[in-house]
Amino acid sequence: MAALTHDERLVPSAGTPRPRLKSFGVAALAVVIVGGLALAGAFLPLSTALDVRNAIGLALFAVATNLLLGYGGLVSFGQAALYGIGAYTVMLGWQHWGWSFWTGFVVAPLVGAAAAAAIGVIALRTRQLYFALLTLAFTQLAFTLAHQQFEFTGGDNGVFGEVLPAWLADERQGYMFTLGVAAISCFLLWRVVTSPFGLTLRAIRENRDRMEALGVNVYLHQLVAFVISGFFCAVAGVLFVVHTQSAYPQLLEWTKSGEPILMAVIGGMFSFLGPVVGAFVYTLGQQELVQQTESWKLVLGVILLAIVLLRPDGLAGLVSARPWRRLRRSETEPGA
Amino acid sequence: MHRHKNGALALSALVVVALAIVGASTASPSQSERQFKGFINIGISTTLSGSIATLGQGGLQGIQLAAADLNRQGGLLGKEIKVVSADDNATPATGAANVRSMILDKKISALFGPVSSAVAAAELQLTAQYKVPTFLHTSNDITLMTQRWTPYAFQVVPNTIMEPRAVAEYLAKKVGNRKLNIGTFSPDYVFGRNSVANFLLALKDLGVNHAVVGQQWPALGAPNIAPQLSALISSDPEVTFNIQFGGDLVNFTNQAAGYGFFKNTRMIGMYSLDPLKALGDAAPSGAIAFSRAPFWGYKKNAAMTAFVARYKKAYNAYPSEWAIMAYSAVQTWAAAVKKVKSLNGDKLVKAIEGSTTPTIRGPLKIRACDHQAEVPEFVGTIAKQRDKTVGHKLWNPEVFIASPAKTMLTCAESLARR
Amino acid sequence: MDTVVIEVSGTLSAASSLFLASAGLTLIFGAMRVINLAHGSFYMFGAFLTTSLVGFATGARFWWAVPVAALAVALIGAGVELGVIRHIYGKEHLTQLLATYALFLIFADLALRIWGAESRAVPVPKSFFGSIEIAGEQIPKYNLVIVGTAIAVGVGLWLLLKLTTLGWRIRAAVDDPESLEASGVNLQLLFTVVFALGALLAGLGGAVISPQIAVTPGIDGSIIVGAFIVTVVGGLGSILGAAVAALLIGASETAGTLAAPDWASTFPYIAMIAILAVRPWGLFGQPER
Repeated sequence: MAALTHDERLVPSAGTPRPRLKSFGVAALAVVIVGGLALAGAFLPLSTALDVRNAIGLALFAVATNLLLGYGGLVSFGQAALYGIGAYTVMLGWQHWGWSFWTGFVVAPLVGAAAAAAIGVIALRTRQLYFALLTLAFTQLAFTLAHQQFEFTGGDNGVFGEVLPAWLADERQGYMFTLGVAAISCFLLWRVVTSPFGLTLRAIRENRDRMEALGVNVYLHQLVAFVISGFFCAVAGVLFVVHTQSAYPQLLEWTKSGEPILMAVIGGMFSFLGPVVGAFVYTLGQQELVQQTESWKLVLGVILLAIVLLRPDGLAGLVSARPWRRLRRSETEPGA
Repeated sequence: MHRHKNGALALSALVVVALAIVGASTASPSQSERQFKGFINIGISTTLSGSIATLGQGGLQGIQLAAADLNRQGGLLGKEIKVVSADDNATPATGAANVRSMILDKKISALFGPVSSAVAAAELQLTAQYKVPTFLHTSNDITLMTQRWTPYAFQVVPNTIMEPRAVAEYLAKKVGNRKLNIGTFSPDYVFGRNSVANFLLALKDLGVNHAVVGQQWPALGAPNIAPQLSALISSDPEVTFNIQFGGDLVNFTNQAAGYGFFKNTRMIGMYSLDPLKALGDAAPSGAIAFSRAPFWGYKKNAAMTAFVARYKKAYNAYPSEWAIMAYSAVQTWAAAVKKVKSLNGDKLVKAIEGSTTPTIRGPLKIRACDHQAEVPEFVGTIAKQRDKTVGHKLWNPEVFIASPAKTMLTCAESLARR
Repeated sequence: MDTVVIEVSGTLSAASSLFLASAGLTLIFGAMRVINLAHGSFYMFGAFLTTSLVGFATGARFWWAVPVAALAVALIGAGVELGVIRHIYGKEHLTQLLATYALFLIFADLALRIWGAESRAVPVPKSFFGSIEIAGEQIPKYNLVIVGTAIAVGVGLWLLLKLTTLGWRIRAAVDDPESLEASGVNLQLLFTVVFALGALLAGLGGAVISPQIAVTPGIDGSIIVGAFIVTVVGGLGSILGAAVAALLIGASETAGTLAAPDWASTFPYIAMIAILAVRPWGLFGQPER
């Protein structure tokens, strides 16, 4: 990350506890969003509602990834492995050991967290691009294993089956369940980023050396963040199962790891809700694009390029002129 | 600021180019004005980009030509057939989302399947739920018609048991009692794994005396297979069963040729139209080739000859087996629609079960018990000389057409696998 | 069973392909601190352009098709630098990853529109057709071209960086861009040249490999992961590192195919994880500040 040495950025003022008014505002916003999505799930035409359900699951994936990206300054291409592990745990548990969906629902995030710990212990020894590409190697390793151990995983055919209890298999009820799980998970992640731990994490991102000098165990903080992110990425993977009743290797591919990063950047990775916005824009937009034109990659590429070159803050930068934005600007345009 | 202006200029130029290309690629040939009472949408969500796009593009062209041919004859039920297509990017979730939107928004009356069996599995969940007849014409995993059985799906392609059994049968006829050292080379892909396993099983069932000396599994689409290839060559097989397809097979052939591989081993590969065309003179003459529906395998079949001519005229190329199988799938569906005069999924399924439809592949029977088409697999050897009409090598004239009666699972076996 | 020759030849040709795919990537990163996800696209363009230039079944044209394709890709590279990369210097790696990922998507689609979905093949040129015999084993003659090109690229880059003014400037651009600019060097032009050179190497790689592979849309994505592994294991920016890493990864894969064919495709990833666990900056890399 370029030029992160200016002292004034050591203490990120935006994240410090604010007067009660602000937390009231946050609560109100949360109620509006969740309520609006609930209404959407109840009344939108089914095909649109299902696209939104897909986007909600991916929004959680993006928010969980952004704990590392936006708050921790860690570009991880390993999150798809954890997302896929979440989905695979449910499906494979059901297939091989007859687990109910609920057993998988409880176990999957724990497996995700454990896998994140294993990956993080090694990957966090490296930094910057090495970290990005080493986590990418872990994702590809998981992808390759899913192909190779086909007698256990079903290989590229993946695992498909009626794993959901009947009420959850109903599209609208599955929608409400997805929304509920995603909302609770986001609330917990919000508590993490506003906690002292979250503040330390951001301070590390801003000036790692300073925090080390202050006696903070940087490695441990980042590892904990990685594990928390892995836990919630796996929860998002479980929501994928609610959406599709399946798991397959593409969930573990490195390009899948790129998706939540794209979402965070499109929506704005320096605000908590930016990735949510990005997830909706990306998921629904790409879906529409794929159905409109065979050249969807071209159009998507041009739009992405436009965002990166012209609006590096992402879409959220348009609406929230918060201190983070100022901070971001001073960071990205040194000597521009 | 100056800098931003430049960026904006470059970007707007890019946008213009992008729009122009999108416009060009989506502009469909205008339908001849004809009196239709509305239209019927049929869907195909398949792989149209990336390394296996050639299979998906071939299938899509077959379906588009089939729709155009039907429309020329007045459509179906007096309505015009329209093809709705989308790229699935070889990803089940994308394929499923495409299909859901095709069913709920575009109201498609039939779905024509994707390249990948995993994508097919995801799509079958939906078409079963919404009772849309689905025709798998490229993906051929046996599980799609057994463990993942849904009453609305039909498979018009030789499956992962029929294809390797056909090749084994051919080999058994050729070798007699001699003991064979066999190597296998397959993409690390369930399709490949199953095909290899079923090939070896079939050899055993046929009593072919053999030993497996080496098995390699490079990743699908990997350009660099030197390590796997050299390991295979080191194991010194007399016969190599290679189940790679399309670009991967071309890749293998090019790299293996330098090792003198084709002189020392009898190669068996899926040398169908696309790889033969790409390889040109480098196609290994004498190697055993198999294909699911090569147009040159249908002799004295006027419907096929006429189809090849129409296809050539429409796309300025010869039809691959992917195009041929897709076209025959549309024919099967259209015949059933004409018969029951309805688009109702349940009625169509009833009509198709056990039916025999005249298609460009000859009479195509769909077995009632598991919805598998009773279709042959073609096995032959690569010719020495270029074929005069197509301009590159095809097969030698004697082609073995494996009878489906011998290669298919029995109904009892198929039902037992559900 | 004297198959060592075949294994060694396989390893060398795999390593050479990997090195050719990654040399430009590591050069660009070394000089400009830009990570280019669209590098595989340049490689793909090199291969596709060669198929177009050679046409079918006219092997003699191959030798001029290769340099022309590589130069054409260099021009594309220069255009990309002027149009996009120039605007993202000094920005976060993430911004660069995204911008070049966008280019990767755009180029993938353009290639599909221009060359179609069918696989294409380039006939092996006559003079290197067939095989040579080494210790009783047949080895593809064309492997000599691939290994030779890899060695030429490696040595050429090393000489360029050590002995020429351009090389001196490239190295200075890494360590101290400010004083280089103060001394009157046009840094922007230098970066354009370096980026074009990196693209040229990718295009050359694609062009030289083209007779050995099927040229299809999608080879951009399938080589990029391997190129990244090599670049990172070797240490970002180190040409020597890339060469050593390419050999290590090629050897690990060959060892995998012999010892455990079922697991072979995981070997490169396991090798990368093991090496970076011990040396977080790669074999010859330097810690980034």
